[in-house]
Amino acid sequence: MEPNQPSRCAGPSRRAFLQVGAAGVLGLTLDGLLRSRAAFAAEGVGREAAADAVINIFLPGGMAAQETFDPKPLAPLEYRGNARTVKTAIPGVHFANRLSRIARVADKITVIRSMTHGEADHDRGVHNMLTGYRPSPALIYPSIGSVVSHELGGRRHLPPYVCIPNKPHDYAGSGYLSGSHAPFSLGSDPSGRNFKVRDLERPKRVDDARFDRRKSLLEIVNRFFDAREASGELDVLDDFYQQAYGMISSAEAREAFAIDQESKKLRDRYGRNQAGQRMLLARRLVERGVRFVSMTYGSWDMHDNIDRSMRSRLPAFDQAFSTLIADLDSRGMLDRTLVLVTTEFGRTPKINRTGGRDHWPKVFSVVMAGGGTKRGLVYGSSDATSTAPEDDPLTVEDWAATVYHLLGIDPNKRLMAPGDRPVRLVDNGTLRRALLA
Amino acid sequence: MIRFGLARVTCIVALLATFAAADDGNTVRSIRIYPPSIRLDHDADRQSFIVLAAFADGSTRDVTATATIALGDPAIATRTDNVVRARGNGRTELIAEFAGSRARAPLEANTVPPRPVDFAHDVVPIFTKAGCNAGGCHGAARGKDGFHLSLFGYDPDGDHHRLTRELAGRRVNVAAPANSLLIEKAVARIDHTGGKCVEPESSAYETIVRWIERGAPAPARDAPHIAALRVDPPEAVLVGERATQRLVVTARYDDGSDRDVTHLAVFRSNEPHTASVDAAGLVTGGKRGEAFVTAQFGTHTAGASLLVLPEDVAFAWPDEPAGTWIDTRVNEKLRKLRIAPARLAADATFLRRATLDLAGRLPTEAECAAFAADARPDKRARLVDRLLDGDGFVDLWTLKWAELLQIRTTGDTISYKATLGYHRWLRSHIAKNTPIDRWVRELLTATGSTLEDPPANYYRIERDPKKLAENAAQVFFGMRIQCAQCHNHPFDRWTMNDYYGFAGFFAQVGVKRAEDPRGWIVYGRSNGEVPHPVTKRPVAPTFLGGAAPDTKRKDRRAIVATWVTSPENPYFARHVANFVWAHFFGRGIVEPVDDVRVTNPPINAALLDALADRLREHAFDVRALIREICASRAYQRSSVPHADQPRATDYFAQARVRRIRAEVLLDCIGQVTDSRARFRRVPGDARAVEIVDGSYSTHFLTVFGRPERKTVCTCEVKMEPSLSQALHLINGDTVTENIRRGRLVPTLRKRGLTTEAIVDAIYRRTLARAPKPDEWRAIAAAIKGADNADRAIEDVFWALLNAKEFLFNH
Repeated sequence: MEPNQPSRCAGPSRRAFLQVGAAGVLGLTLDGLLRSRAAFAAEGVGREAAADAVINIFLPGGMAAQETFDPKPLAPLEYRGNARTVKTAIPGVHFANRLSRIARVADKITVIRSMTHGEADHDRGVHNMLTGYRPSPALIYPSIGSVVSHELGGRRHLPPYVCIPNKPHDYAGSGYLSGSHAPFSLGSDPSGRNFKVRDLERPKRVDDARFDRRKSLLEIVNRFFDAREASGELDVLDDFYQQAYGMISSAEAREAFAIDQESKKLRDRYGRNQAGQRMLLARRLVERGVRFVSMTYGSWDMHDNIDRSMRSRLPAFDQAFSTLIADLDSRGMLDRTLVLVTTEFGRTPKINRTGGRDHWPKVFSVVMAGGGTKRGLVYGSSDATSTAPEDDPLTVEDWAATVYHLLGIDPNKRLMAPGDRPVRLVDNGTLRRALLA
Repeated sequence: MIRFGLARVTCIVALLATFAAADDGNTVRSIRIYPPSIRLDHDADRQSFIVLAAFADGSTRDVTATATIALGDPAIATRTDNVVRARGNGRTELIAEFAGSRARAPLEANTVPPRPVDFAHDVVPIFTKAGCNAGGCHGAARGKDGFHLSLFGYDPDGDHHRLTRELAGRRVNVAAPANSLLIEKAVARIDHTGGKCVEPESSAYETIVRWIERGAPAPARDAPHIAALRVDPPEAVLVGERATQRLVVTARYDDGSDRDVTHLAVFRSNEPHTASVDAAGLVTGGKRGEAFVTAQFGTHTAGASLLVLPEDVAFAWPDEPAGTWIDTRVNEKLRKLRIAPARLAADATFLRRATLDLAGRLPTEAECAAFAADARPDKRARLVDRLLDGDGFVDLWTLKWAELLQIRTTGDTISYKATLGYHRWLRSHIAKNTPIDRWVRELLTATGSTLEDPPANYYRIERDPKKLAENAAQVFFGMRIQCAQCHNHPFDRWTMNDYYGFAGFFAQVGVKRAEDPRGWIVYGRSNGEVPHPVTKRPVAPTFLGGAAPDTKRKDRRAIVATWVTSPENPYFARHVANFVWAHFFGRGIVEPVDDVRVTNPPINAALLDALADRLREHAFDVRALIREICASRAYQRSSVPHADQPRATDYFAQARVRRIRAEVLLDCIGQVTDSRARFRRVPGDARAVEIVDGSYSTHFLTVFGRPERKTVCTCEVKMEPSLSQALHLINGDTVTENIRRGRLVPTLRKRGLTTEAIVDAIYRRTLARAPKPDEWRAIAAAIKGADNADRAIEDVFWALLNAKEFLFNH
């Protein structure tokens, strides 16, 4: 176990299982192992982590499913739009033809075509998809990334929750949890020519001895203030100083951000653009120990001329995402890394007067891959005109419960909100076992 | 039912009651009946009531069930439990007695037949109560399962049309009312996705059936409209978990009648953990705190404040001077909550706090010494006066308003020249201390070239009349009316009619290119309307929650500007006062300051009212109000709580520790290191608070939360700490480079100062205090033996600039 990993739920950890599995020689019989696993399963949801980390590819603005993962070539013209399709690696399943590369890795991912919620406003849709909760006027909920930070903590001196390049929205923050669980935003784009995360290196003339002296001096100065003041904000700043010291002192932690250490060839394969380099850096970060990487790409709020917008947006996404899946798989990381493609909501069944589609939360598509999800599954469906879910509508709550479960976090766990108010991680979410491998 | 005008009379009656002890020894101060007067308008009318006892310790108790209750004349009305019904015509009284106290409520009854069941008046409220027209059900933009109702019933005519004319004969069956699809679905007699929403044989059920029996008529044209809603009791103080309080909701109509709508209201609590409320309006106490319970009926929402205190709290108010009129209000609330306030902050702390808040900088070494040496009793007031007269104050408040006016360049539409002029115009008004109502009027009525008449930029930065109306409501009233663009606001009183009525004032503004390509001409037009999306017709320009003035052939903006800034305007002075208050306390009395709504009440309404009144008395002189705020004990309190008290900064019992905002913090770093950062298009010696253009930023300013001014939301200013901030202060060029560039340590050394004296000087500069003896001992030990003494002192400097005591105002 990592030394700085906070203890989670009781019971044997996944690692303990792996050790058992690897060395049955040590005395534990297979029978015993099975029995303890059964006991485990009986204890229910969210115990055994299938995934160690998450890459959440968040597509702001609301991506149309009709032009991507759920084309409707047989619908009337005003519904289907430009819906040329392409065969995927799953027999009988088609994507829009601009996702031809992702189509070839379709057997490694799960496409959900029946995602549904009721919020057609950008902010409210974002809130649903980043926190797993409907927005409330009384309480700001933490983003899923912040909950993961709270539950699993950091590893190897890296911040547990990182946003590339910036926080996609205020709702990606720590909500009612301590600000210590807010994401670390890179502040610059990895596709930029001189991409560098600022302030990770000590100033030139500050060597180890001097840095230690500075730290001890700061401790002396803070001591006096700490003796009389107490506030959540001050504690949060302390936490961030500790995190910062950790990152600064660990060369490995700093290197996690050094995208230029990836081979030229691989960088080209991902694509030398925002989608490609952001996904590559996301992989690099989870490989080095970051728990939850949230990255954004493009604007998908296509009210006008959706065909033209898709033409400019999709190729880079197609190339980058298909490479990400293949790269993770070839490194043996896909099984332990949960990759999500999420968005705010879907878009209206009919093409509007300006050739675009407007907001439509009733049914849309999202993707889950790796991290204990099934390979090559299309889950749920939308009806003939993409107006409503047809089979297995997936609510935000059930989706969030499933994500937490895969990370070994109990979605029914209660956290304390202000005023000693216990709030569940997910409000009445049910695990969708059909999504699990 | 009730006659509202009689409320005061009843209070007096109640106060005359004698003092006596209740069963548990707690002295009853008075009891009251709510509603304070009762009117029964027809022979089917009913009114529920409650009896509330107030105790000497400030707590209250719902004694409806235990009080002795009688009717003056049983021939007029009958009573069952806490409900009275009409029996005859005439007036009498309802009399309650509890622990020797007595209260009376006048009662008037009429036995005329009731009005026939009306769709808008009687049926729609049932849909709202049952949740049928909520956003997640048939109230969704496109309805649910093929049936659409307007959200929370804002469009009764449309709802009637859809029920009776759309798919005619399907939803309502006049021949066999109880077999109508509407009924069968509602009681789940047949499959209904929403399940059972109405109990069969309930009064709601009966009402709908009776409406259909009448032939399902359209809403009556002459049906009365709701004029006001009230929740009783308006305030209660519950002691102990599980203490309960019943609420009564009464609607008053514009025809003078009123109605007990408790059973039709939708209840919500903003702090269910403190006070939860059930569908019938029964409140149950929980954890210590204050909750605001709202009742929604039709498009109206009203609320009641519920304080919940634990049992047996040992509490004694500290012996201290009463303070100013501000303290009277703050302390009254603290007493109710049984929280003792902190003592006053020490002089040095106050000097630093006030200088940061009023001038956006730290006190200099000389100022610290002079303030410490000053023995005059009014030195704090003198300091405030001096700072109020300084440039720092002007720059700081120009910055704050520039954020709300979104002063920024944008691509090729807003030039730097225009931005600079706009900023200068604002700054000159703040510098001259122009009353805020005056410059806001100038702003709202602006016409002409954006280069020569700078306030005209207001209408170039935003051109959509709807958005202009939203911004005006948010910036000048702190209200977010956006929701009401598409549906009635779910958590406030604003309807679509209010929204489009207000937007109408901004519909006749024209903008065209000026000769100078950097400028635009803003002019008034005689046409332009904003159509209501439901009726497709423009709504007559109407003040928010107010009248529809005559705008024919008049400048609509002049009319609305006068109304916005009028002393009679109920929102403007209140919002400005709250905005100002929040600057000095780190939170508003309504928080967030720009989210004023019925369901987000002020935590101290009396205080906010008093501040608003005072601002009006000062004829909108903001500086005069600030002077009084800074003179209050509330502002001058220490950040350390009174002995054994919980931290309760929300109620202003102590000063709140606040991180210093981005621009001011950068200026402070420049000030203490004797080194200034340089900014694009700003004179070399300018400070960060003086940066004109909201689109401009630096890495430091961005990381510490400088707003981009893309919206009018105060939430753009970010104050929370982040990992990036820590990294930047530790490693970034701001701290390191400023120390190097300022050359303070070598300069002091050249003057022959010892290491101890230099450290002492740096301490005073950054923290406005000398190092404590044991602090100095620890520092001396840490830097002893360094091969370069000056470099070691620079490390002390680095530590001070990274210190929480430096980064926060406290």
